[in-house]
Amino acid sequence: MTAKETLTQVFVVASYEIRKYLRSRRLLGVLVILALVVGLILGLPPALGRSYSSDANRFVGTFAGFTEILVILCGTLFAADALVSEHEKRTGYFLFPNPVRRETIVIGKLLASLAASAGIILIYYLAATIAALAVTGHVTWEIGLSAAYALAYMACVVGVAFLLSAVLKGTITATVLTFFLFFLIFTIVSVALSAGGVQPWFIPSAASGIIGNVLSPPSDGPGPPPYIPDAPTSLAVFAVYFVISAIVATVLFRRRELKS
Amino acid sequence: MAEPITVKGLGKDYGKFTALASLDLSIPAGICFGYLGPNGAGKSTTIKILTNLIRPSRGAAQIFGVDVQRRPTEALRKVGTVIETPEFYGYLSPLEVLAYAGRLRSMTKKDIASRSEEVLKTVKLSGWADKRVETFSKGMKQRLAVAQALLHRPDLLILDEPTSGLDPRGMAEVRDIVKSLKREGRTVFMSSHLLGEVQEVCDAAALIDHGKLLLQGTLEELAKRADATTFQATFLQPPARDEIAWIEALEGVKGVTASGNGSIELRLAGGPEVQAAVINAIVRSGMPLTSFRPIGTALEQLYLEQIKETER
Repeated sequence: MTAKETLTQVFVVASYEIRKYLRSRRLLGVLVILALVVGLILGLPPALGRSYSSDANRFVGTFAGFTEILVILCGTLFAADALVSEHEKRTGYFLFPNPVRRETIVIGKLLASLAASAGIILIYYLAATIAALAVTGHVTWEIGLSAAYALAYMACVVGVAFLLSAVLKGTITATVLTFFLFFLIFTIVSVALSAGGVQPWFIPSAASGIIGNVLSPPSDGPGPPPYIPDAPTSLAVFAVYFVISAIVATVLFRRRELKS
Repeated sequence: MAEPITVKGLGKDYGKFTALASLDLSIPAGICFGYLGPNGAGKSTTIKILTNLIRPSRGAAQIFGVDVQRRPTEALRKVGTVIETPEFYGYLSPLEVLAYAGRLRSMTKKDIASRSEEVLKTVKLSGWADKRVETFSKGMKQRLAVAQALLHRPDLLILDEPTSGLDPRGMAEVRDIVKSLKREGRTVFMSSHLLGEVQEVCDAAALIDHGKLLLQGTLEELAKRADATTFQATFLQPPARDEIAWIEALEGVKGVTASGNGSIELRLAGGPEVQAAVINAIVRSGMPLTSFRPIGTALEQLYLEQIKETER
């Protein structure tokens, strides 16, 4: 198997995975949610008689408040069942006896998940940027930085989703656990750690605060000061989660036997 | 050129359960090899190891001289497989499924298109080429499985119960496909429960049970090894008890059982000579014999002799 053949196989696997998102209407579903969020952000203030922020960063900061949910949705819908479904739905009996390495399959599927999720995030930020330009008359580099942070967080979520998909036996368990891990469990752990005096810099959902903070830094409020992540640490955390999860997922998927 | 399949000391354990003990097999090129055994005998385990779906606990499997575990992509390059009834991606059509398999095997677009048309025609799925697989019955998925196994003109076909889920016509069609592959000089390794199917299409067979190889050889060799063959003899009147005892005492007769309606079942040891002698003796005795026919085949007899109990 030459490197060129392997590369071709990666793109073949990725293209069929993207086709799955399109045909199963997952991509359409996320786009509909994205449109609803954009519609609500733009439609609610005038409907409630309130004006938009005149500051571009603050204006896009409202959008950034929903970015994390969008990222988690992408990870859940585009990554959580990618590996486990080959075993649970027995499609592996078709795919695996082909002369294709399991690592190639993982990389192809990972590429597809990252591409689809990145596409959604970029469309969201594009909509936010266009809206900011229309409302405030200008855009800032912080908007691009926030988008970059969102992409980094997205890679982290997708990587962990792949790990769960390689470990767990059912698509539903993998999907539900991916969603609640990032939406709830990590948040609870962060709060608990903060309450115990430990800064949760190593928890992805806490580290993802950089996405919004770069646009509108958190203001002081009553109670103990919240954990404010710094960008280099958070990006390193995302990278470590992504790399370790992707490697472990690949090793586990390679070793996993198709028995059922 | 190395033999299509060579298996040495192959074994697989699941915890304390031994699914496959220590298998030695060598399948020469250009034949159809039947792999027989009851449920849980180790047939699917062998096939899954050969196709890199599971890892062996011991031993090695080679395809065309290439170790399947060490160099799976190289080993599987010339192999087409149907393993159980595979599921396909429901959102794809048969043409897209075949294109996926073809592209993974580095086939050209032109070759994929022409071969897809051919193999879909072979398995009688041309009319469904553009329909999504999610609407397919089990039999149709099985046909598609056979089609994707044939797509790249493999030198070796590994088929695990290839007629499973098919109606009688579909089963006959798959048997015809296997026969035509044999005529083209391709090698077929086929597991099956259906002894008649193996008898019809295979040149040689192996029998395994409880993860152990019991017998292997050409069908002729195996037939000769059958300890006895059962025949049904029917008379105008039911034979009396002393007549049954007399038949039982004839040379070559290993047992006689009355089966009602004037019929008896005779288990004969030996070949056609013994059968002729027994028929001759019965006719000469004046017993009104109306028919004498074999029940089952020698392979079936051998199977039943070897596989005593399969309860696990």
